[in-house]
Amino acid sequence: MIWLTWRQHRKEMIYTLLALAALAAIMVPTGLAMHGRYEDTGLKACLDGLGTASLLQQAPGVTECQELAHAFQEKYSDLAFVAVLFVILPVFVGVFYGAPLVARELEQGTHRFVWTQGVSRTRWALTKFGLIGGFTLLVAVVYALGVSWWFTPLVAAIGSRMEYLAFDVQGVVPIAYTLFAVALGVFAGVYWRKVLPAMGVALAGFAVVRGTVELLARPRYLPPKELTYALGEMDMAPNPASGNWSQAHGIRDGAGNLVMADARIGPCPETDSFCAREIQKFGSGAHNWELYQPGDRFWLFQGIETGIFLALTALLLALALRRLRTLA
Amino acid sequence: MEQALEAEDLGKRYGRAWALRDCSFELPAGRVAALVGPNGAGKSTLLHLAVGLLKPDTGRVRVFGREPHGAPATLGEIGFVAQDTPLYRDFTARELISLGGRLNRRWDAALARDRLSALGIPPDRPVGKLSGGQRAQVALALALAKRPRLLLLDEPVAALDPLARREFMQALMGAVAESETTVLFSSHLLSELERTCDHLIVLQTAHVQLSGSVDELLDGHRLLVGPRDAAPPDGVEKVVRAAHTERQSTLLVRSRALPAPAPGWTEREVSLEDLVLAYLADTETRDVETAWEVTA
Repeated sequence: MIWLTWRQHRKEMIYTLLALAALAAIMVPTGLAMHGRYEDTGLKACLDGLGTASLLQQAPGVTECQELAHAFQEKYSDLAFVAVLFVILPVFVGVFYGAPLVARELEQGTHRFVWTQGVSRTRWALTKFGLIGGFTLLVAVVYALGVSWWFTPLVAAIGSRMEYLAFDVQGVVPIAYTLFAVALGVFAGVYWRKVLPAMGVALAGFAVVRGTVELLARPRYLPPKELTYALGEMDMAPNPASGNWSQAHGIRDGAGNLVMADARIGPCPETDSFCAREIQKFGSGAHNWELYQPGDRFWLFQGIETGIFLALTALLLALALRRLRTLA
Repeated sequence: MEQALEAEDLGKRYGRAWALRDCSFELPAGRVAALVGPNGAGKSTLLHLAVGLLKPDTGRVRVFGREPHGAPATLGEIGFVAQDTPLYRDFTARELISLGGRLNRRWDAALARDRLSALGIPPDRPVGKLSGGQRAQVALALALAKRPRLLLLDEPVAALDPLARREFMQALMGAVAESETTVLFSSHLLSELERTCDHLIVLQTAHVQLSGSVDELLDGHRLLVGPRDAAPPDGVEKVVRAAHTERQSTLLVRSRALPAPAPGWTEREVSLEDLVLAYLADTETRDVETAWEVTA
């Protein structure tokens, strides 16, 4: 069975490894350059110095950090688009491995050959799922570690790693997405019985599930926290290095009513009397308000999302296996 | 007598439609049997049940006394060549023989190699690039290499040209003669049946219409020609099919040898082809009449 799986899928495996090597050939030099610049410009030291508290006494150092971060972003803004590619890659791996795994056999009728030899269908399926799943897992781990490393400086310069896109290509979730995509491909292949429709179904299904979890479930894994701070004051303004994921913000009056959504009034320069007058219009007790997921929940959220997708993977494979027993 | 294959009230349903229903028959070991019926009669379903690809919805099927579904040990006793002889098209014949050895406990690789070499089939060309006839021979060699006690073939020659068809049947008959393998092959072609098989199962619209050894079946049926609309003579168990011209009736009847020649009737022996056609046509007419709500 092991030999059969290798013989049937060796081409795909070799191509995947080649693609991974090609990707590494591009990502390693650019990543090294980016990491070098991140440290050489002093941006890393600067951001490290700010700590991860939500609020921070505003000082010239903070502004300097923000300027460094800005310059870094300018330099590598094009590369940020690569993140979109990194989001899409796992689903392609999944669809190209998963969908044909059973569907090609059903399409060409070879299941009638292989299921009538002296090996049970369940063993056949488990060996295939296991080996292909194991190989995908290995590739996904290398991929996730590499992409995480590559992206760290850019994400730190831009803001929070909890944000959309940054969260999706870092940590362990890309591994779970990839395994889920493979399982979805297998499932679609078993139910639709043809390679191309199965690929289409898997692609669409992946987009729907990922979108739903990302937009509806992820912000609600834990109740968000609230942050309030004075309007226009120098002390205690948001820390750009906190890593917090902002969900909503605005200005609330003394009674706590939201009087201006999506607005924030930062420190007023001491000489600017206009700024101070504007603040007074909101009345006494008005303050900046922010709803956020704290940056230190990154690994917790990664764990929850990984758990969701691994559970879905197991469910899809179990359903595929159950269905497989009834096919002929 | 040991039964190689037996079915007992066997039924299989796809959704609400029965692909096979109330199907009972026995196939004694050592026979070469043809499974005959038009397309869609349930032949593939029956073979898939016998080789354990499908699980029965009703009744049971046994191969040498054991149910084949989900039993790899029983599968070792059965060689199966599926319709259109599906093989991994990018595998070479040599790789397929090696694969069979990895998937089966009992495997006679030398047998498969000898057969293919005798037929002049290249060992290192992907089987997808072989002709249909050659690919069918590879599939047959792989099935035989299991040294099966029961060999099932689903329309093995349907897609082949006449020459390849004859070569395949020769190869099959030659292999079977050497071993004591029981064979059941499905076909919707009636020619050549008489030469190749000694047992017959006729399937029509999901039901077994006729089953038994060819000799007994031929012995138990007669073709009677007599005056039109006369009552069939005594000793006739059942009129399978009646055809009428203006003055004559031709009846295919089920009956042992008639006690005495009936006055006015001439008796003839039936051919296997007559017999099969009579049973197939019989149900067809009845079904159509039922569908049109006409009483026969």
